[in-house]
Amino acid sequence: MNARPWSLGGTRRLPTTVLVARREALMRLRSRVFIGGTTVMTVLVLVGIVAASLLAGKTTPVRVGFSGGSQALERTFTASAAALGAKVTVSDIADVTAGEAQVTAGTLDVLVTGSATAPTAVVKAAIPSNVESALYLASEAARLSDAGLPPAAVTSAMALVPVQILQPSTPKDTQNLFAGLAVGIVLWIALGIYGSQVAQGVVEEKATRIMEILLATIRPSRLLAGKVIGIGLVGLLQLTIVGAAALVAVQVTNVAAIPALGVAGILGDLFWFMLGFLFYATAYSAVAALVSRQEEVQSAIAPMSILQIAGYLLVYAALPNPSGPLATVCSLLPPFAPILMAVRMASSEVPVWQVGLAAALTIASIVGLTWLAGRMYTNAAMRIGTRVRFMDAFRG
Amino acid sequence: MTPDERGTARASGNRGEMNGDARVLEVDGISKRYGDLVALENLTFDVRAGELFGFVGRNGAGKTTTMRIALGVLAPDAGVVRWLGVPLTFEARRRIGYMPEERGLYPKMHVAEQLAYLGELHGMTGADARDSALGWLDRFGLADRRDAELQALSLGNQQRVQLAAALVFGPDALVLDEPFAGLDPVAVDVMAGVLREQADAGVPVIFSSHELELVERLCDRVGIVERGRMVACGTVDELRAGGQERRWIDIPGASGDWEAGVPGVRLLQTDGSRRLFELDRGVDDQALLQAALATGPVRAFERVEPSLGELFRTVIGEAGA
Repeated sequence: MNARPWSLGGTRRLPTTVLVARREALMRLRSRVFIGGTTVMTVLVLVGIVAASLLAGKTTPVRVGFSGGSQALERTFTASAAALGAKVTVSDIADVTAGEAQVTAGTLDVLVTGSATAPTAVVKAAIPSNVESALYLASEAARLSDAGLPPAAVTSAMALVPVQILQPSTPKDTQNLFAGLAVGIVLWIALGIYGSQVAQGVVEEKATRIMEILLATIRPSRLLAGKVIGIGLVGLLQLTIVGAAALVAVQVTNVAAIPALGVAGILGDLFWFMLGFLFYATAYSAVAALVSRQEEVQSAIAPMSILQIAGYLLVYAALPNPSGPLATVCSLLPPFAPILMAVRMASSEVPVWQVGLAAALTIASIVGLTWLAGRMYTNAAMRIGTRVRFMDAFRG
Repeated sequence: MTPDERGTARASGNRGEMNGDARVLEVDGISKRYGDLVALENLTFDVRAGELFGFVGRNGAGKTTTMRIALGVLAPDAGVVRWLGVPLTFEARRRIGYMPEERGLYPKMHVAEQLAYLGELHGMTGADARDSALGWLDRFGLADRRDAELQALSLGNQQRVQLAAALVFGPDALVLDEPFAGLDPVAVDVMAGVLREQADAGVPVIFSSHELELVERLCDRVGIVERGRMVACGTVDELRAGGQERRWIDIPGASGDWEAGVPGVRLLQTDGSRRLFELDRGVDDQALLQAALATGPVRAFERVEPSLGELFRTVIGEAGA
């Protein structure tokens, strides 16, 4: 008779932590903030990947116009350019002055003038080297033909040296940098959003006074655990959607074949999100329990926000040298590890022991924070009104 | 049968008998301080199975603090709260329906969904919680608002939902802080009916209120709290028995202080030829009557039952003195 989600309750009694987590997750999944936020993040990631593929792949061909005698070069030039991996389009230009005007205006990239054996290239600022080489090959072939060499001899004389690559070099340094930056930004945004959602959820229950009803039936630690788990799962779902979209986009555009944008890399990012979320969510909930009004949340969580912003700035400091001392040390420290270690793993090779140490330190600090947050939350949850002092909440 | 005997009779057939003790919920000697402020001092009372217990007192007297402690959301500095003779456990207090003074539900959650959620938190299955939520909404005339957000309801309707939140899981006891505040007369009648019904089913019900007439009409027993102490506790008749007696006497044509010779009698009020007297405890009203008859023909000699409001002011006045 009713299709609302709550009607799927069923005939089982669920543990209170599960009930709280379910409510937190359902309320958020239904909200416009979640649907809108997921859409925006997915679109941003897709746009970024497509833009990167356009920049990296240079799929826009170089427009080359030939005038006068040089027009005889068009066929051999096109073939040479293809052999050299340069994408070009070729057109006839009747008037040199008009062609120069087109180059100046940017509607033509290269204007070739002169004869087939002694052509001149006119460009606005610079000519791509493979286009220049293709032009050289075409005119050299014309000169050899002109000197009387038969076409077969010309072809064999102009043959390119075959190159055998034993170990493909990484022209992917910029791709790694890009992937590292993208991972850092997405993680930073997600941790900020979901950390502050926990803070706001805690204060909401104090501000609306439902805390008093809840604490009459559920222990504070379970209420807190349910809230963190419910919101965390929503965040994980959102990042999984964004990560899957990125994975598909990378496959389709073929922009890069770097590990950071593979399945293992994205699973690693989700792992770091989980650790980072648990770290910041427990810390946020402890300080948020001290205040009773939404207006006070921002000032209460300010010390934590500053740590998060510092972590974000460290991404930029660390990226140019992901294995340098600054990046290495900071990526081991719990407040920064969830973002910085993920960034380092995305942009470079990180020794396994460093990843393990960073994860172990973060998990240990989460355990400590959970104890602290549970204590402060329990002591401050029922003190509605004025802001509770940190030490009062700690002592109880 | 006095209300007290009624309550005891009901209790004997109920869960109170399990421990051979009709006092189901006992608040025993609780004290609470906030810094230098003494909120409660050695406060004691009990509520029996099937009893409606009215809790009255001025603002800040300690009613809300007492209820929070009775429910276990606040810990006392001293004293103990017992349920069925043993100190209240977490599991026992999960079975108490609670309506806090400040109210409190999720403003953006749908009404029926919210009630069902609270039912499940109190240990019901999803299906039972849902049925119970819809049942209570029906009872309070809110069936058509079940899919509305709570904040879309009028304050009176939000209050009905709040009471439904205390009832949804079929509580063993009810602790309600100002359940009637802000309700229209029809809603007051509905809520009073529900509370009486719960009490008759054997559920001990404690509620606080400033509507003294309502408390007098509805409650089996009343506790008056002042400055953190229980200054009077019992049935309204018992409270009357402990206070001063009052008599209206009408002697047309009488003048002067004819009652001056009778000890322990004070003139409170004069209304034409009618005079209202207050008699100290133990004073025989026949002495007053004889003095009156000696003055002139007595047309009326009337015993006045003080209302709870009058008792309340007297008790508060004594406690403050």
